[in-house]
Formats: sequence, structure tokens, C-alpha cells
Amino acid sequence: MASYTYTPVPDTGAKAGVLAYLVVSAVVLLLMMVFGLLMRLEQSQFTSIGGLWFYKIMTLHGAGMVGIVALAGAAVMWHFLRLYVDLSNGIFMANLALFLIGVVMILASVLLGDFHAGWTFLFPLPGTSMGLWSTGAAALFMGGLLIIGVGFVLLHLDIARAIITRYGGLGRGLGWPQLFGHDDGNAPPPTVVASTMVTIVNLIGLVVGASILVMMLVNLYVPSFEIDPLLAKGMIYFFGHVFINAVIYMAVIAVYEILPRYTQRPWKSNKVFLASWTASTIMVMFIFPHHLLMDYAYPKWFLIVGHIIGYLNTFPILIVTGYGAMMIVYRSGIRWDMCSRLLFVSLFGWAVGAMPAFIDGTITVNYVMHNTLWVPGHFHTYLLLGMVAMVFGFMYYLGKPNENAKDSPIDVAAFWAFVIGTLGFTMSFLYSGKISVPRRYAEHLPEWVPYDRLASYFIVLILAAVLVFIFRFLSRLGFASRDYQRASLARSLATT
Amino acid sequence: MSSPTLPRDVKYGIGLGILYLLLGTPMARDWLEATMSRHMLVQMPLLVILGIIGCRLLPVRWQNDVLARVGGSVPCVMVALFASSYWMLPRALDAALTEPLAEVGKFLSLPLLVGFPLVLAWRRLTLIGRGFVWTNFISMLAVLGWLYIVAPVRVCNSYLVNDQEHAGWYMVIGSILLFVWWLATLFIGSGVGPNKPGGNGSGTTLA
Repeated sequence: MASYTYTPVPDTGAKAGVLAYLVVSAVVLLLMMVFGLLMRLEQSQFTSIGGLWFYKIMTLHGAGMVGIVALAGAAVMWHFLRLYVDLSNGIFMANLALFLIGVVMILASVLLGDFHAGWTFLFPLPGTSMGLWSTGAAALFMGGLLIIGVGFVLLHLDIARAIITRYGGLGRGLGWPQLFGHDDGNAPPPTVVASTMVTIVNLIGLVVGASILVMMLVNLYVPSFEIDPLLAKGMIYFFGHVFINAVIYMAVIAVYEILPRYTQRPWKSNKVFLASWTASTIMVMFIFPHHLLMDYAYPKWFLIVGHIIGYLNTFPILIVTGYGAMMIVYRSGIRWDMCSRLLFVSLFGWAVGAMPAFIDGTITVNYVMHNTLWVPGHFHTYLLLGMVAMVFGFMYYLGKPNENAKDSPIDVAAFWAFVIGTLGFTMSFLYSGKISVPRRYAEHLPEWVPYDRLASYFIVLILAAVLVFIFRFLSRLGFASRDYQRASLARSLATT
Repeated sequence: MSSPTLPRDVKYGIGLGILYLLLGTPMARDWLEATMSRHMLVQMPLLVILGIIGCRLLPVRWQNDVLARVGGSVPCVMVALFASSYWMLPRALDAALTEPLAEVGKFLSLPLLVGFPLVLAWRRLTLIGRGFVWTNFISMLAVLGWLYIVAPVRVCNSYLVNDQEHAGWYMVIGSILLFVWWLATLFIGSGVGPNKPGGNGSGTTLA
């Protein structure tokens, strides 16, 4: 049995590219949150922007959020992975450039071309607009997604190259020699294991996504090249679900890297940890069918497999990470600051957010719950209180002036406002789902409006908190690129 | 007195030449071009493979000289990309069957403009370059196959609709198998190429 001891890792500042990613992420995230508020205000009947603008904003909010959390997650992953492998800065920046080009195309498609078919661009909707948007607008939207995808393929190819060069193969990057053989304690660190998993699943997901996007582009201009709508939906959800799942696996690297620096306890790449990541590498590619359970035309076995794997995949990494974090923190004398608070609460958000999906993944529940606000309740909890909290924790970590720096009461208040606001906001989604409020409706019945209004108040609270987080990060950008000890050592270890 | 023996590479070269000529015989052409699947997925890849083997039989010094003269690995990849894309067009297949000049063009361009430049470029490409070539080729093959399956019309005058559909399915299946194989090579760490662009890595691995 291998023994694990903590090896101190120096705190390195962020490269300019990582900071560029984070600044873009912060600005776009804030903008997308404002878009989210606009939608809830419309449903609350506080405003009347109309159906066209509601669906245009919904399309931008969905596509923008998926893209921007992926960009933020990539920044976290790249920052820590480069401590172990030799990554290309040029490719990293090329991904950002391609991302921004794609964003401009999507913005033009929606704002100028009136495209509003949702970020899921489900076939045949983009090509059958009934005159509401042009073929060119739909092509611009899908072309933008394609360009963003090409950037991420390049990034993952570079990560694969670097991991293979350093460790000798992606199998070794996942720690297979230690998982299936003798655990000599030399398994790759958690950052490398997580990055390997993300690279494998995203490469597969992106190639499938690119294939359906190209086919739909062909179909837009030559409709006689028909596409099976069920196949198109399956491919879109495979790509979309893998991609959005991967963002939390990128961001969780912040937890693996930063919490041990606070407690000086190692995050072990032991057999259980390696097994959970290998299992999820496979299972994450088979859980998307919980979005297809209402499509009775799919083969029954396919839906049952989706149901079972959806149940199974909820747990391995989540339990290993949640339990691991508690073991690292338990009786460590950890000093809680904004970074450690956000990282720790992110695991709570991840765990709580996964549960509604687990419930929705049950076929009989799915029939009545899937097209309700229950599902946005799930992914907003999982992403906002889970993934986005990890990114904000990372931002606080980079900008911390010194290891003994105290948080201002405004930051602490913002933290609690963020937690309470997110819980209130997501609970209003979940409760609306429970009373069968459909999702993606611009107009709500009077009986549903009180919950929408409650959600709007909570979003304002979240926005106020996020403004503090972002302002603090931007005001401390000067610290973020320097190399110095940031983590406050646990009380039992601190010398001062 | 022992009889003089030819170097091994020269023997292989002669064998390769014979194989090339055999592919060009009316009997082989008739059989391989009788169906779209054999034409696109057997004859054409064989011509590319002949170009690949032919290039690898040349001394490494010659390969490096040619690569330097043509401007490096990127132009080679671009030439291979455009030449192979042309031969994916249904119209090109028809032309090869009906116009002798186009048939000669196919027999010359696939080995010389696809196989040959790919080998020249390969040893200088990092995993990013090799990955780009593979993911591009695999997704093109999959999408083309899909288009052949769902095409509402006969895309080649020389082949029947069901032949076209069979070829489409073979392409889709082939692209999936190729993708799985390529990912598997990453798991065992082969085919990574040189660490830096332009470095002289191994040209012997396909992935």
C-alpha cells in the first residue's frame, strides 16, 4: 500500500493568458446573469419585452453560459496542469481567439439576425423558422459554435500531447498502471487525472458535435439532404451533455490543488480516486439519454441503459471528491477565507445540484418532470453553486494579497449573499418544477408568477454578490500574476 | 563467386512498382471500379498507401531535402488535404470512369499528392498537427458517408443508389473504427510525434 505525504507546491502566479480567460469569463458571466434576470423579470410580469426578445435572450443566455463556463474551466485546468506538463501558450491563446470569433458570430446571428432557436439548435428548428430568421442567421449561429469547438479541439490535442509526452499515454495519465496493478504511490496527481479524463471525453464529444453541426449546415442550404431528427437530437445532446459535464471536471482541479495548500494534507491519487475517474470517463458518455427519455421512439434498451448509467454516474467522482475534501478539512484547523469558503461550498453545490438530475433520470419521473423548471433548477444549482463557485474561489486565490490577508466584511457578506441567493433562486426553479411549471415559456400563468418574482429577487442578490467578487478580482489583477505563498496555513501549521 | 544481390529497399521498390502496375491493369481496374465501395474505399486508399510506402523507401536524407525544398510540413499537409478532398467528390469518380485523362490523374495524384506529402510532413508534425489531420479526415469521412446515405438523388452517374448507400455506410463505420483506433493509440502513447513543431520525430507511426 502506498503511503502519501504532502509535498509543498509553490504558489505560482497566473500567466497573462489565464488572466485574459478569467477577465473575459467574468465580464461575459455577469452579462449572461443579467440576461437571466431579464428572462425571469419577463416571466414575473415586471417587464414586457415580448416573446421575440425573450427567446433571443434565452438563446444567448444558454449558449453564452455553456461557452463561458467552459472557458473559465479551461483557465483553471490550464493554470494548474502546466505545473506538471509542458503546455503550449500559443494554442491556449488560439483557443481564446477562436472563442471570441465564435462569440461575435453568435451575437450577430441573434442580435442582428433574430435567431432564437435555443442553444440546443435542435433539428429541424434552425432550418424551419417560418420567416422569423434567415438561413444565414442560423448558419452564423451554428458556424460560431463550430469555430468555438475547433478551438477546444486544438486545446485538448495540446493537452493530450503534453500528457502523453510526460506520462507516456492517456492510460497512464488516468493512472491505469497503479489502478490495475501495484499502487506504488507514483500515480499522476489529481490534476493530471482530471485533465486526461476531460480531454478524452471532450475530444469525442466535440467530434460528434462538429459532425451534426456540419450536417445541419448542409441541410440548411440543401434541405433535400434529410437528417433523422432523433439521430440529430441524440448527437446534439451527446455533445452538449459531455461538454457541459466536462466543465465541472475542469474546475474541480481548483479544489484538488488549492485546499491541500491550506491544510498541508495531500489529495491522494489512490486506487479509489483513480477508479472513480476511470469509471466516469466511460459513464459520462452514456448519461445524456436522461434528456431523451420522453422520446419513446428510441429503442427501449437505449433508454434503460441511460437510466441505469445516469444513476451510477452521479456518484463516483462526487463522492470521492466530497469525501476527500472533508477528510482534508476535518480537524485540520483550516483558516477560512473567501477562497477556501467558496471552494468548500462548491462541493456542497455540486452534490446538491446533482440530486435533482438523479431524480429526473428516473424514467417515470422524467415523463412528468423533464419539461418543467425542475431541470433548470438542477443545472443552475450544479453550475452556479458548484462550478462557478469553484471559479470565483480560484479568482480569490489568485488575487489574495498575502497568506495572512483578511477578507473585508463586504466580501464575507457577498459570500453569504451568493449562497443564500443561489439557494433561493434554484429552490424557486425546483418548486416551480414540482408544481409543473413548464420551462422555456416566455409567458407564465398568474398562479406561477409569485415563484418567478421570488426568483427575480434572489437573482438581484446573486448579482450584487457577483459584482463584489468580480470587482475584487479585477482590482487585484496586479497580484494575480506574481509568485508567492497565498494559502493561509492551517492553525496547527502556521508560524504566525 | 556469389551473384550480386540488390539492396532490400530496391527490392521493395520493384515490388511496389509491380503492384502499382497491377492496379493499373484493365482487369484490376474493372473489378475495383465496378462498385462505388471498392472504388472509393479499396482502390483509392491502395493508391495512397503505395505513395506512403514509396516515400518511406527513400533515404531519410532525401525525404528531408524534399521537405525543405517544398517549404516544410504545412504545405505538404495542405496539398494532401486538397487532393484527397477532390477525390471525395462524386463528379471526380465519374470523370475517372469516363475520361482516361482523369483516370491517369487519379493514379498519379493519389500516390504523389496525398501519400507522398503526408509521409514527408508526418515526422515533423506534433500530436496537434497529426491530431488535426486525423480528426479532420475522420469527420470528413463520416459526414461524406452520411451525405451519401441520405442523398435524395444518385450522386454518381456511374453507380446505382443502393451502391452509393452501401459506400456511405462503409464510410461511417470506417470513420468510427478509425476514431476508436486513433484514440486507442493515444492511450498507449504512440504516435505522439516530436515535442516541438518542426522537430524530427518518428515517421514510422501512423497515428
